[in-house]
Amino acid sequence: MSTPVAPEWSLELADIRARREVAYALGGPEAVEKHHAQGKLTARERIGHLLESESFEEFGILAGAVKYTAEGKIASATPSTAVVGVGTIAQRRTVVAADDFTIRGGSSEAAVAEKWIYADRYAWEYKLPIIRMIDSAGGSVKLLDKLGHTKIPGYALLPITHLLGAVPVVGIAHGACAGLGALRVAASHLSIMVRGQSQVFAAGPPVVKQAFGIDIDKNDLGGYDQVHRHSGMINLAANTDAEALDLAKRFLSYLPGNVWEQPPRAAVTDAPGRRDAWLNDAIPHDRRKIFNPHKILKSLVDKDSLFEMSPDFGASTITAFARMNGYSVGIICNNPRVGGGALTRAAALKQTRFIDLCDTFHLPLIFLVDQPGVMTGQEAEMQGTLGAAMQAVHAIEQASVPVITIVLRRCVGLAGAMVSPWHGPTGTALPHRFAWPSAQWGSIPIEGGVAAAYKQDIAAADDPLARRKELEAHYQALASPLRTAERFGVIDVIEPDSTRPLLCNWVGDAYRITALSLGPKRRTMR
Amino acid sequence: MSTIAVKSDVAGTVWQIHVREGDVVEEDQTLIIMESMKMEIPLMAAESGRVISVLVAEGDVVKDGQDVLLMECD
Repeated sequence: MSTPVAPEWSLELADIRARREVAYALGGPEAVEKHHAQGKLTARERIGHLLESESFEEFGILAGAVKYTAEGKIASATPSTAVVGVGTIAQRRTVVAADDFTIRGGSSEAAVAEKWIYADRYAWEYKLPIIRMIDSAGGSVKLLDKLGHTKIPGYALLPITHLLGAVPVVGIAHGACAGLGALRVAASHLSIMVRGQSQVFAAGPPVVKQAFGIDIDKNDLGGYDQVHRHSGMINLAANTDAEALDLAKRFLSYLPGNVWEQPPRAAVTDAPGRRDAWLNDAIPHDRRKIFNPHKILKSLVDKDSLFEMSPDFGASTITAFARMNGYSVGIICNNPRVGGGALTRAAALKQTRFIDLCDTFHLPLIFLVDQPGVMTGQEAEMQGTLGAAMQAVHAIEQASVPVITIVLRRCVGLAGAMVSPWHGPTGTALPHRFAWPSAQWGSIPIEGGVAAAYKQDIAAADDPLARRKELEAHYQALASPLRTAERFGVIDVIEPDSTRPLLCNWVGDAYRITALSLGPKRRTMR
Repeated sequence: MSTIAVKSDVAGTVWQIHVREGDVVEEDQTLIIMESMKMEIPLMAAESGRVISVLVAEGDVVKDGQDVLLMECD
């Protein structure tokens, strides 16, 4: 008969379990219920939604504010508002950091700030993607009581800046994010907000009231229209917490775990040789009529693989991830439905940022071009549109990923310099450009160009309109893309329905070459 | 029911108006065609609904982002 073994550490182990239960309870049932009533998920539910089940390994679950009685017993315990750790998404280890709003509004006063800094540092040290879920009321002046002194503010910029050149970073605004919270959302490759629920600003309404004496609603200051549609600081908007988390997961699926790896190739579910015959007639012959670029994009890429970034900002240019024959690519496509496809300042900033993002993570770039040039007019000039357009030119010239360009229709003015590199960082980049039969290019658009150069000639004609049409027809004939192809000024003019097979063959070449140059880029995110 | 203002996403001239007050419209239906940058740029219904009022007339010059039509949607 064996005698029962006396438990050596049962009291301590029970204490650990009890302390963990405190952390699992967050701000308590009432606070959690109030939080749910607003349609929000808690920090732990957000992490649960992101990660594969049971894969969460938490860092610092015992951290918090604990008060003891004179006898050394726990009188009260409040967990830290920062829930951080690592788990798996699509079989890849990913760092997560979520603010718990149910404890004093997620105030950084109640967080152990070292925890979320540790999450950033873990992502940096082990080169893992990180998702930050921000839902914090920010700091409080009461922190000063604790510190007893003020300090020169300085969140450890290692690794917040370094991370952007090393691993994918996602920032999700789940509530009102001001100051440091806003910064943690914005210092990312993908920033997401929840419409109506979250706001992002340098400073919230109380500070604005102090500064300017005006009352302003938080949504008018940092809501969806402000920070997505107008400023473009936030890339995507979701309708619910769950939708925002799903967007984060989908985004990560296009990227490698870090810059030393290649993006994962997905199972091929769509024939690379598929040719959709309707594409041959997708562009109207009448140049006044426009087409639907999203429909063309969806037809060219692997079925259901299109993932658009910043859809409502700078919308005259579409920036999207997609897959070609299972390979992840970045696509930049002009949208004639918005502003005629002209490059606005917003579109140029969006394009620059997207090129930097694809370059950082070794995603080959596909340009589908219908660009009448840089937006003109007094407003555009006052915004510095041309300067922003030059940034986009620099970005493509500095990017070292393979680029292929298909000119669908117009490629006028500066567009010619920004849809493929002329030299690239190596000095030997290929201008790998193809065209559809509807393509037309040149330094100056023919219609306006004829009116300007033949002003007196047209005015003196018996029938000025007929004379202008005659001159335009003369130049249109010279502008046929086939004449450019005769001189090898474009690689080929192709049947539009052969575009997908062409791109799918090219992307294989592109991935073979990017495999030879993995690692960090000298310049990362602008 | 919510009221949605359809905005012109381009500065230009109103070329054709395809709907009238009270019309029931489907998602993606063309409401107004703008003329800008020498092209016809359709403004389409983002979702199905009913036209409450048309705020512009053919030939009007409108600014980028200007409200051109009000719709009532579910």
